Amino acid sequence: MTGRAGPRRWRPGAALLAAVLLAAGPASAAPSTASRDDAAITLGMALEPPNLDPTQSAAEATEDVVYCNVFEGLTRIAEDGSVVPALARAWSISDDGLTYRFHLHPGVRFHDGTPLTALDAKYSLDRARAAGSTNPLHDLLAAIKSIEVDSELELRIELARPVADLLTYLGWGNLVIMSPATSGRAATAPIGTGPFRFKEWRKGDAIVLDRNEDYWGPRARLRRVTFRIVPDSSTSLAALRAGDVDGFENFPSPESVAALARDPRFAVVVGSTEGETLLAINNARAPFNDLRVRRALSHAVDRNAIIKGAMYGYGQPIGSHFPPHHPAYIDLTGRYPYDPAAARALLAEAGYPHGFAVTLKLPPPYYARRSGEIIAAELAAVGIRVTLQNVEWAQWLDQVFKNRDFDLTIVSHTEPLDYDIYARPGYYFGYSNPAYTALLDRLSRDRDPQERRQMLGEVQRMLAEDAVNVFLFELPKLGVWRADLHGLWREAPVQGMDVTRAWLDAPAAAGTEQHTGSLPALLLAIAGFAAVALGGLALSRQVSPRYLAGRLGSLALTLLLASAVIFVLVEILPGDPAAYMMGLNASPDAVAHLRADYGLDTPPLQQYLAWLAGVARGDLGLSYTYRVPVAGLVAERLAVSVPLALYALVLAALLAFPLGLAAAARAGTRTDATLMGLAQVGLAVPNFWLGILLILLFAVQLHWFAAGGFPGWDAGIGRALAALTLPAIALAVPQGCILARVLRASLGEALREDYVRTARAKGLTGGQALWRHALPNALIPVLTIVGLQFSFLLAGAILVETVFSLPGIGRLIFQATTQRDLIVVRSVVLLLVAAVVVVNFLVELSYAVVDPRLHQGSRA
Amino acid sequence: MIATARRWRLDAGLAAAATAGLVVVLAALVSLTGAFDAGLALNIDARLAAPSAAHWFGTDPLGRDVLAMIAAGARVSLGVSLGAVAIGLGIGVPLGLVAAVVGGVGDEAVARLNDLVFAMPSLLLAVLLAATMGPGPANAVIALGVFNVPVFARLSRAGARTLLARDFVLAARVAGKGRLRIALEHLLPNLTGLLIVQATIQLALGIAAEAGLSYVGLGAQPPAPSWGRMLNDAQTLTAIAPWLAWCPGIALSVTVLALSVLGERLREVFDPRARR
Repeated sequence: MTGRAGPRRWRPGAALLAAVLLAAGPASAAPSTASRDDAAITLGMALEPPNLDPTQSAAEATEDVVYCNVFEGLTRIAEDGSVVPALARAWSISDDGLTYRFHLHPGVRFHDGTPLTALDAKYSLDRARAAGSTNPLHDLLAAIKSIEVDSELELRIELARPVADLLTYLGWGNLVIMSPATSGRAATAPIGTGPFRFKEWRKGDAIVLDRNEDYWGPRARLRRVTFRIVPDSSTSLAALRAGDVDGFENFPSPESVAALARDPRFAVVVGSTEGETLLAINNARAPFNDLRVRRALSHAVDRNAIIKGAMYGYGQPIGSHFPPHHPAYIDLTGRYPYDPAAARALLAEAGYPHGFAVTLKLPPPYYARRSGEIIAAELAAVGIRVTLQNVEWAQWLDQVFKNRDFDLTIVSHTEPLDYDIYARPGYYFGYSNPAYTALLDRLSRDRDPQERRQMLGEVQRMLAEDAVNVFLFELPKLGVWRADLHGLWREAPVQGMDVTRAWLDAPAAAGTEQHTGSLPALLLAIAGFAAVALGGLALSRQVSPRYLAGRLGSLALTLLLASAVIFVLVEILPGDPAAYMMGLNASPDAVAHLRADYGLDTPPLQQYLAWLAGVARGDLGLSYTYRVPVAGLVAERLAVSVPLALYALVLAALLAFPLGLAAAARAGTRTDATLMGLAQVGLAVPNFWLGILLILLFAVQLHWFAAGGFPGWDAGIGRALAALTLPAIALAVPQGCILARVLRASLGEALREDYVRTARAKGLTGGQALWRHALPNALIPVLTIVGLQFSFLLAGAILVETVFSLPGIGRLIFQATTQRDLIVVRSVVLLLVAAVVVVNFLVELSYAVVDPRLHQGSRA
Repeated sequence: MIATARRWRLDAGLAAAATAGLVVVLAALVSLTGAFDAGLALNIDARLAAPSAAHWFGTDPLGRDVLAMIAAGARVSLGVSLGAVAIGLGIGVPLGLVAAVVGGVGDEAVARLNDLVFAMPSLLLAVLLAATMGPGPANAVIALGVFNVPVFARLSRAGARTLLARDFVLAARVAGKGRLRIALEHLLPNLTGLLIVQATIQLALGIAAEAGLSYVGLGAQPPAPSWGRMLNDAQTLTAIAPWLAWCPGIALSVTVLALSVLGERLREVFDPRARR
């Protein structure tokens, strides 16, 4: 079951299929759709949701996981964008459009067994429209006068004025129905009514949903769906190829799509999303408040070059904030054709004949970063000098979205019908047009299709005329998945990844599963530390108590100083973690409340002391992003990092000893020089580059190993170690070469000592003298280096963990830093520093044991 | 036998110095004459071209000439490492000298500080520092420079302490020279050899560390090319354009190797007693 040549899961499947076909004859040649339904699949996603409550968070990733799968609303958006019944099996609207009656399905139960009634629906909608709620649709619900429960399954909504799109809003993930008893825990343990129930969330790794066997509607055909976080474009391709994920609904690497389309193992399904990708302009800031400057920007940008260069041809150009697949779409891409000369003329007219300098802030998505470089070059050609600034989401939300401190930025707005953001007061575009606001108001009340179509056309024209932003392209939905996986959507008319009707073809296919459990590895780690501690204790018996006390005091002092430095360092990190956690539409009150919860508004010294007190108790705090104890997070990550470090150390030793010994045995010869030269080359190779090459050869070409990721120790020691092998080699080669050179040098010294000469004179051969006398003495400096290497491997493996997508401790720190999760960062860094200091301390102790001179005198 | 090994290393040392020199010249060319600027312009139609006569190392996803990118990246790598070494020398050497000469509490404080910085996993904290201060080459210089300070402080402190026991220093003190003058006139010149050797080694380490920082996005920002970022961008394209993964990696390894070997050879030159 460990990965060897070929896609391992499909070989037994193919054999079984062949057997079945042979046995049953041609009648069973068609794939059976009523066959095994115990399949489990893994879908990759680039961003991890901050929490799993779509009614409190605007994060798309949240809805990707739970929409329609775990939670359901009164209505639902089908793949063609139409509104269809969900929890409400039927509804009626009064003629004046002010009263909506919904008839709920009978027999619906939440995942905890309680029945769904209209009271739950009333509770959920009231919660969304309450003052102070952080529901993204809060403002759109302002027209609701009251929500009444007419009977157990009858709900009535009274409006103050008509709301034409109410049924659509009710079908979005932000207005799903929850029960009052469980809504408070929805962020981490969602209880809904959907065909899947929430199973577990391994932070930073994956979210697992299991089939709800008691679902009121058509049963899901998958037993389990795992949403695995694959943040980098580079690892996405490798993960797909190696079979670690079964597919991506939004594959983040358009350059690889063509090759995957030619691969018969995969199906490539390209559709569209509701994501208008924009070069967003700060209309409130000079020189962008001048219409001519904004129009110049539109003329200066060549949409087709961007689609070709950044998106490899995928994506349709747009001329306004509206998706091309919508029936009311008008093609306005010709309003500002690519014309650098016209752009320069407009700039000169506006008073900028020599252009000006601006910054362009780019959030993490690949389409933003790649488009950014191309746009910078295009704007430079008309005299606008662009400085690119790559920012993380936390910083983007803080600087651009909240504080409107930006010139230009690139972002994709993926909510459907979001042209209303141009009328929102205080929105980051800084655009304000009373005519537009009035138009939207008329539109929201008018239900007549003809008039709506006309008004939507007006909406598009107005935004284009005012050149509010440079409208680039509609974000494509690049769906790439196993050829035998069906039922996933082509289009994305709504935020979410509906897997309720997906199924796997192959009869015996078990799909990919992500087991976990860090318990065996945690036990291993604890055993390791215990061994080290016992060894330390044994060593310490052999040195004088005063020396020991002195060294321990020094260790404690170092740790204290380190904690202070770490605290200060982390405190000056810019960006507000509370704002990041709450997401796009949080009210200032909610953010302030959260800050108070986490003690962010107490004085720094108090926070520092509270932190130290907690660490002494073993309480490392609660992570901001995941809201779980940091100690648990750390244990999970250590379960990967510690074995990896030990594995790499073993491999390094296996490399170093033969190399060093062979070179020392032939000291001074050409062999010696050659071997040491090879070691010199080996240690010059960067470990992350070596990792990339190893993936290229052993994973992508030969399929001997997975291309990244960690299946968890529960998947079996063999599979887990296989996943750690390539990373361990990448780490071990440079470290082993260093070790080889140190060994060779210290062996060289030892060989020159008198006792070796005496041994040779007594009749021992060179080899025997080397082995019995020189080597034991030469091991002392080697021991020091090994100790230092362990600490480097533990923390310095951050690059290799990134290359291979391993959920290790280095990666945790990096992710926590970008998410401004200060609690995690400072506690984990302190822990690592403590580990390093303790290991160094033990190495020094062992030195003192071996060489008594060292602890009898004063410090050298 | 011994003569053979000596001569072999002499050749390797020369080859290393020559390669390092070539890299420096390339970097200088880019920064001074802008000779490669044409190759750095975006040219989407010519992107992902395989190595050919027109483009010796091929082109990248935006149509830029990879050779030009590597040369420009050399300028960034060397610039950042030189800056980091300069910080290490500029702050570390005076710190170490003062500690050795003054002794007592000051000496202890410097030793503690050194231990503290050495105790921290350097790459991790460089990443943390760069992420804190924001990405960019200037902050990368500071993040890497911070870890060079204790290296040079420890080196100059240890070296100075050895020298302080020597006769000529004692003679100077008897003659009434102040401690500052002794440090400047007697200690520093005699440490120069050691410092040059260490600087070369730290330069090599700095280039490797800068590539690591760039790989995770914390080094030079687009559109300025950097070797680490080129490697990151190349990871998804290894099937269509493998030269994108090979070229920057080879450039990186060769530069680090050349500088390390150069450092080793210099060590032998400045300290003939060091035997292999």
